[in-house]
Amino acid sequence: MVQSEKALDDLVILDLSNSIAAAWCTRLFADFGAKVIMIEPPSGNPLRYLYPEYPEGSNLLVDHLLANKKSLQLDIENTESRQLFLDLIAKCDVIVESSVPSQLEEYGLGFDDLHNSFPDLIVLSVTPYGRRNEYTFAPANSLSIAARSGWASINGFEEKGPLSTSINQSAYCSGVLAYGSTLAAIFSTRQKSGCGQYIDISEFEVMVSNFAPPALSSEYSGNIHKQKSMYETNLLAGPVPVQDGHFALTLSRAHFFRDAMMVLGLEDLAENLDLHETWYRMAHKDLWMGRVQDAMSKWTREELFDELALRRVVAGPVLKMDELVENVHLQQRGFWNRLQDDPLQALRPGAPFKLSETPWVLEHMAPDIGEHDEELAQMLLHSSTGIQSHRGEI
Amino acid sequence: MSGPLKGIRGVVLTQAWAGSYCTELFAMAGADVVQLEVRKRPDSWRGTYTAPMSDSMNKISTARHAWNVNSNFNAVNLGKRSFTLDLSRDEGVDIFKSLIKHADFVAENFSPRVMGNLGFSYEELCEIKPDIILASLSAYGHDGPWCNVPGIGGTVEPTSGMSALLGYGDGVPINSGVMYPDAVAGLYGFSGLLTALHYRNRTGKGQFIDLSMQEANLANIGEAALEYTYTKHVPKAIGNRHKFFAPHGIFPCADSVKGGKKWIAIAAETDEQWETLCDISGMSWMNNSKFINNILRKENEEELNQEISFWSRRQDRDLLSTLLSSKGVIAAPVLDAKEVLDDHVLRSRGVIVELDHPEVGKKPQVGAPFHFSQDKISITRPSPLQGEHSFEIFSELLGMSRDEYEKLVSENISGEGPPK
Repeated sequence: MVQSEKALDDLVILDLSNSIAAAWCTRLFADFGAKVIMIEPPSGNPLRYLYPEYPEGSNLLVDHLLANKKSLQLDIENTESRQLFLDLIAKCDVIVESSVPSQLEEYGLGFDDLHNSFPDLIVLSVTPYGRRNEYTFAPANSLSIAARSGWASINGFEEKGPLSTSINQSAYCSGVLAYGSTLAAIFSTRQKSGCGQYIDISEFEVMVSNFAPPALSSEYSGNIHKQKSMYETNLLAGPVPVQDGHFALTLSRAHFFRDAMMVLGLEDLAENLDLHETWYRMAHKDLWMGRVQDAMSKWTREELFDELALRRVVAGPVLKMDELVENVHLQQRGFWNRLQDDPLQALRPGAPFKLSETPWVLEHMAPDIGEHDEELAQMLLHSSTGIQSHRGEI
Repeated sequence: MSGPLKGIRGVVLTQAWAGSYCTELFAMAGADVVQLEVRKRPDSWRGTYTAPMSDSMNKISTARHAWNVNSNFNAVNLGKRSFTLDLSRDEGVDIFKSLIKHADFVAENFSPRVMGNLGFSYEELCEIKPDIILASLSAYGHDGPWCNVPGIGGTVEPTSGMSALLGYGDGVPINSGVMYPDAVAGLYGFSGLLTALHYRNRTGKGQFIDLSMQEANLANIGEAALEYTYTKHVPKAIGNRHKFFAPHGIFPCADSVKGGKKWIAIAAETDEQWETLCDISGMSWMNNSKFINNILRKENEEELNQEISFWSRRQDRDLLSTLLSSKGVIAAPVLDAKEVLDDHVLRSRGVIVELDHPEVGKKPQVGAPFHFSQDKISITRPSPLQGEHSFEIFSELLGMSRDEYEKLVSENISGEGPPK
């Protein structure tokens, strides 16, 4: 048994990702200690050009998705570089790709081609619609995935039309599932079969998986789960107005209802035992909903949250990003991070989960194209001359 | 059940959505997930013992108990086995501890103090099985001033920044149609556990996973967080629009024969896609000086969207979606829940599966979202009835006899439904 402070520092990932989903997957690998070697063509990873740059030349997607990774400039289209790429494959555990059509297959390096030479190699594919199906070549993004997966049909209000999920959610959800799925495959390879395999992750299918509850409720009830009406927005739909913003209060259990009514000064509702039954409360919303929202509107978010939290009532204020950066709870948990090598010293979002023995670590800014050519040559290959000489040909 | 995680066992206390989804992903990947349900109070996603059966379930002759036919529970517990115990009784606690000896991991999504109160803190579990992994999915994590604040998806969505980014651009924050943050937390919980399992397999050491739903969801919108810290502009909801590209929206189509609006998502992220859209539309948008490049299209997005809506309103949703996609333009129909379950690609890939539930009967539902070439996924078990596998699990793992089990049932320590 080895001793290690990083959960995944025995893994080497060859990262050919050019989508947000696949890049988020490999970012997670890097954050938990794997060596992630980003193979960049001479023009650089396309993600470097997806969004415009901010002032000071910083690039949000690059800084967010490529941090903690190593960059090796290598043109796989070049036949001689291809041999170097094969040398790298021999030293890696996983190849990640997201191109449609498959870049690896176009080079004759698809999973089936590689499997004989590298029997324990795992190849992960993360694409909008998965491989080898009718949708595979349809271009997509998080908007179109939200549409096809059902999410746009239930978000928002029927009077205003379907509403997508926010900010590349299909990509980030798929990235994290792809990460976990790859670790599952590594478990199978190392602990059981010794055999590598191909993993096919589709952003569409991940968002459909997230959509399982409204899908099945529609099937069971025969009533399709739809958007709510904006004229019926209420506590059950989400945040309602309070003095300085919006606030969500759930009253799913009897004691939440009783204690919240006491805080809001609605003692008669608190004492109505019929309303302590969940199904009765939901069937008779007219008895309490309007009064509760009216009472809430007189509070500020912080005051109401403090009072309800004391009584362990499930509730929460709508927080914006500036408030989250200043949020004392997140600060004390150490969620926000700075990087030593960041000239802007910007705060960066931190670990999605904490491990007691092997912490998530954000160590390095995103690399320049080919920044680690020399280091990788020395660490992974026989000498530094291999990569350097091939770079010269590109 | 088969899959890459066959051979792994989780003894879990997960409930509702986030925790249940996390451990369902394990079950769908082949792990043996045995889920404890506390005898006196069913999983909140089963409902309560006193809730009446829904009208639709009343029509199904095999539907016997409302708590076994709740679509919420049955949507997120595929492939698991269910057992019940009364953890307020010493006998129940002893059986649970005995089961821990057979577990690779334990997972729960209670408030942080609950496991300690039950006598199952991480340290106590380690005394039973030194290399155990415990994943705790809570609203705000195990330390910090909010650690004891309870939360669910509907309140973590606002407190994680998600709600502020979901809306039509009018400044009104919205929660998702269902509690989306639970799904996000479930995905990270699955991945967190696998991270810890990988480490344990290398080192022999278990560990504790502290997953705050707030942090997992904030990480999932980390792009917006970084945008704020770079620019000091607070990111806002922008409806279906994109920060940089136009067109990027959801547009009306010709209504279906049966009535009800049909919609299509259309986006162009490149000039080539824009030109193709113009060609297909037959409209004169290319000649409009307000739309000649992405910067101008973005500046004149309101007018652009009106133009596209005017055209799309006369188009058949599915024909247009297929045509645009085939020509390289980003497009997709807005499908409702029933249409998602009917999607032939999802069915052919085994993502929508027909499962026969003992009380509900055969229904299509969402299965596994991953595909492995060697370890094929095969979901053969629907979500369990409450306590369905108690004897099976106790017998298989603890060597319990039928008489011993019946004694537990007679004493209300295990069994099905409300205690007698």
